[in-house]
Amino acid sequence: MRRRTLLRAALTAAAAAAPLPLTGCGPRGTDARPGLDYLSLAWQKESVDANKALVAAWNAAHPHTPVRYLQGSWESVHDQLLTSFEGGSAPDVIHDEAGDLTDFAHGGYLTDLRPLLPERLNSAIPQRTWRTARIGGGLYGVPFLQEPRVLVADRRLLRRAGIRLPTVRRPWDWAEFEAAARALTRDRGGGRGRRYGVAWAMKEPVSQSVNLALSTGGRVFHRAGGRDVVRFGPRDSAVAELIHRQVHRDRTAAPSGLGMSGSDVLPGFFAGRYAMVPLNFSYRQQVHQQAPEGFDWVTLPLPAGNRGGRGAGGSGPHGGRAQGVSPQTLSIARDCRHKRAAMEFVAFLTGARQLVRLARGDWLVPTATAALAAPALHTERYGWRTGTESARHLVASPVLGVRGYQEWLDKIATPAFQEYYADGIALRELRGRLVEDGNRVLARYQR
Amino acid sequence: MPEERVRARAGLRLPRSRRAGATDASAPSAPDSASDSSGRPARTSARTSARTSARTSVPPPRTARDRRRALGLDAGAWFLLLPALLPILVLSVGPLLYGMSLAFTDAQAGRTDPTRFTGLANFADLRLDPLFWDSFRVGLVWAVSVTVLQFALALGLALLLDQNLRFRWLARTLALVPWAMPQVVVGELWRLVYHQDAGLLNTTLRGLHLLDHNAGWLTSPSLALPAVIVVGVWAGLPQTTVVLLAGLQNVPRELHESAALDGAGAWRRMRAVTWPALRPVAVAIASLDLIWNINSFGLVYVLTQGGPGGQTRLPMLFAYEEAFRYGQYGYAAAMGLVLVAAVALLLAVFLRSRLRPYEEEGGVR
Amino acid sequence: MSAPGGVRQPSVARARTAAPGTGVARPRRAVRYAQYAALLCYLAFLGLPLLWLLSTAFKPPRELGSAAPELLPAHPTLGNFAAAFDEQPLLRSGLNSLTVAGCAALLSVAVAVPASYVLARRRTLPARATSGWIVAGQLFPLVLVIVPLFMVLRQLRLVDSLGGLVAVYVVWNLPFALWMLRGYVRAVPPALEEAAAVDGCGRLRTLRSVVLPLLAPGVVATLMFSFVAAWNEFFFALVLLKSPEKQTISVLLTRFTGAEGAADLGPLAAASLLATLPSLVFFALLQRRLAGALSAGAVKG
Repeated sequence: MRRRTLLRAALTAAAAAAPLPLTGCGPRGTDARPGLDYLSLAWQKESVDANKALVAAWNAAHPHTPVRYLQGSWESVHDQLLTSFEGGSAPDVIHDEAGDLTDFAHGGYLTDLRPLLPERLNSAIPQRTWRTARIGGGLYGVPFLQEPRVLVADRRLLRRAGIRLPTVRRPWDWAEFEAAARALTRDRGGGRGRRYGVAWAMKEPVSQSVNLALSTGGRVFHRAGGRDVVRFGPRDSAVAELIHRQVHRDRTAAPSGLGMSGSDVLPGFFAGRYAMVPLNFSYRQQVHQQAPEGFDWVTLPLPAGNRGGRGAGGSGPHGGRAQGVSPQTLSIARDCRHKRAAMEFVAFLTGARQLVRLARGDWLVPTATAALAAPALHTERYGWRTGTESARHLVASPVLGVRGYQEWLDKIATPAFQEYYADGIALRELRGRLVEDGNRVLARYQR
Repeated sequence: MPEERVRARAGLRLPRSRRAGATDASAPSAPDSASDSSGRPARTSARTSARTSARTSVPPPRTARDRRRALGLDAGAWFLLLPALLPILVLSVGPLLYGMSLAFTDAQAGRTDPTRFTGLANFADLRLDPLFWDSFRVGLVWAVSVTVLQFALALGLALLLDQNLRFRWLARTLALVPWAMPQVVVGELWRLVYHQDAGLLNTTLRGLHLLDHNAGWLTSPSLALPAVIVVGVWAGLPQTTVVLLAGLQNVPRELHESAALDGAGAWRRMRAVTWPALRPVAVAIASLDLIWNINSFGLVYVLTQGGPGGQTRLPMLFAYEEAFRYGQYGYAAAMGLVLVAAVALLLAVFLRSRLRPYEEEGGVR
Repeated sequence: MSAPGGVRQPSVARARTAAPGTGVARPRRAVRYAQYAALLCYLAFLGLPLLWLLSTAFKPPRELGSAAPELLPAHPTLGNFAAAFDEQPLLRSGLNSLTVAGCAALLSVAVAVPASYVLARRRTLPARATSGWIVAGQLFPLVLVIVPLFMVLRQLRLVDSLGGLVAVYVVWNLPFALWMLRGYVRAVPPALEEAAAVDGCGRLRTLRSVVLPLLAPGVVATLMFSFVAAWNEFFFALVLLKSPEKQTISVLLTRFTGAEGAADLGPLAAASLLATLPSLVFFALLQRRLAGALSAGAVKG
């Protein structure tokens, strides 16, 4: 008897409660609403706070075009955007990274910003950075934060080995880097295993290998006859060969790092197992948070080119210091009904002072020249200066704007590079796969 | 008798013709009948019982309604079915059919390319795609391994929990925890456990001196798939255990007793008494597990993203990548259809061989 | 070697050694030890990863980066929980998840019970078609259906509403719910309903007062499965909900991770623990009933 009445009560409650969520959250007549939806991917606390404060400031000054702050996550943003675009309910202002924009731009979901761009914004950001968001002739995003790759090192170990610390003005070249790694590698004895000079975190090997190829004069992705093709000549493969050499011949690089992502190498770094780790600039925050008491870490620039020797880079104004980056961008959806207001909001977010705030919140480097000069970003502490000083050598990654890159990456390049670094295949086989199989895939997208 | 209890609750009288045990032949054991002394699990299907009751029952008085039937159902039945049917048609069948139909087109993400009907072109491409068949193989290995291991371990655990051991309540609670965790959490959790430098597994194994260096569980091409299978088994263990445990508890004690009195040892009892009684339940949950495991990819995605080198790229993960990362909706839908066909075939073969003696019971429908 | 018929009279000698209630001799001590050992292995397998999550939630950031991790945190802190609550609206999203999962579970049952009754009792075209859909719907990959589903919901103006999410969950839980309840309905002898009809009950009254009580265990099982499935579901919730105040907790958990696997491990572990709690409570409440519920449905289904 009790069971039946309980069941009946539950069902009645369900019937009564069901309309509540349905009515309370019904459609809001979004078509008529004058506001904007801003999808942000900020996830660290300071960054989220900075974003929210900026949105609040905008809303206070522009009550007629309020902005609603929506939060996404890096892991799922592509899926989320794709579904919202296809379904017709995309956010207006979209925070994403330049590499992700290619397919959306070709799919007709993003607004070409060239007619909307105010002059002061145009001149605030250098042309080589604008090139990162130029896809198929149009401009589809405002690059506002960029992330160089740096070398985080244990200063104490370097000093003990008597190694010169490189600066942005006087960086190492790759030969010096290899020598340093050799000097730092030693058997620690006492059953504590080997200390490696460097740990390359190669869980996602492709973007690193391609972006670093620029330092030796290679590009991997070239434009020939109006189409993108893959080439893997000596200049393109110099850095990859170096890494392979360090892991398998010289044994100065940790083989365990090959499967690790950036944050995975940190425990070994703190324990003294690795002396130097190449990391993205934003990882300094994790290093700062998790480093043990008194751990002396320093942020160094990555090596620049090869003076003489193999793949002698240093062509062009960067002298081998060039590094490919895929900045974070702000785009406007083509379905947005208030494009001018959206553009103003984007310009507001990327004003010099706001940009400094966002950069500090995310531990990244801003793109605007004025923001780069801010003294807060030039401190020695936490290696900010290394990042901002190397900003003038950051160019568009060769992978940007290439149709079919994602499929090349997943199906061909990542397995090939992983096998190569694990010494499963030789350089010739790697080249064959990347170039022959790769060009076949790319050709399909560029018919 | 249970029927009497129910009827009494409903305020109905049991007609005299019914009280004299005439229901024995037609009534399968009700779920909560503790006093059922027939000792056999139900062997009558609805069809048989309907036939039996038709022979002995009084014809229902609603003859007028019988004349007005649509598709074999009268208005009352439609009234009951409609609240389910309507949403199903709109939110499930419709999108399913549309999604499946894309397999015959060259649908792509984006507005710039119009979608054209291409017939079986996608399937032709699929036949020649080595990566798809690789992922198919990985998927089969994964699904079969996880299902078999899950079943074996769950059976063991269920047998243990059936015993009168202490801390049974703790084991039962712990058995359900993996079920309560969202997939994202399970993935992150096991990533931490498998971490090469700072993970629980390596630390424990090194502490026990079973390992002398930190193994890359998720990064080594030969270890990745087994490592991921272990996680799959861990995550699915609760559901299977609970179902099997319930099945075990439904086996009447008298059978065990009489078998023991006849001198049958534990293993003999298991084979002759427990297993036949458990078999329908076991087949049902095993096939359901197989279907669920073939479809699951969220866990693997969080752990390895299909790597290293495609060693853990499940077919569903592959289809997801085709659709969402490369925007090839048509090709992905073709993959989906091939998988449905393959699994349906597998299940048909598997179930036919298992269920032939049980056809009349309507084991899994 | 099963004996025909019912229980025989056990001899007096046997009765003294028999375990209470089973009539079977208590297993030897060695066997018992083996059983405890096996149980311990199971507990270790099932429980240790969870303990690891628990300990991670209480570790300060310094310990999280250590290369020699300990099971017990050296300096346990509640800071991760504070950070988790501070960074993301955990309470709000928890309530959202609770609402959605609860409604989905109750509606699933409310819709599935009458439908399964019809499907079990009548072997007609709609019944067979539904059975076919039950299998096909579970086999076709869900992710490929998301975009058409999204468009349908948009037509119905149910995008970005919790009600839309509930509707989707109910419909996509129905295959399992129908499968389960259909077995239970089949277990109810039609003779009962015939008798009720003879006594003048309408169809609905029969359903309510005769069939429903016998379905109670099956209803409990369906409630549990639907609740957990809806609570843990991530993909639909991610793409269907836009407004920040409507987010569910499974989507929220992904916000603790950044690009390339960078993660706020401490707050993530804390939030994950909190996300697991409601399902556990639900289980604890319904655990006992579940045991009887599932078997009969599975057998008859």
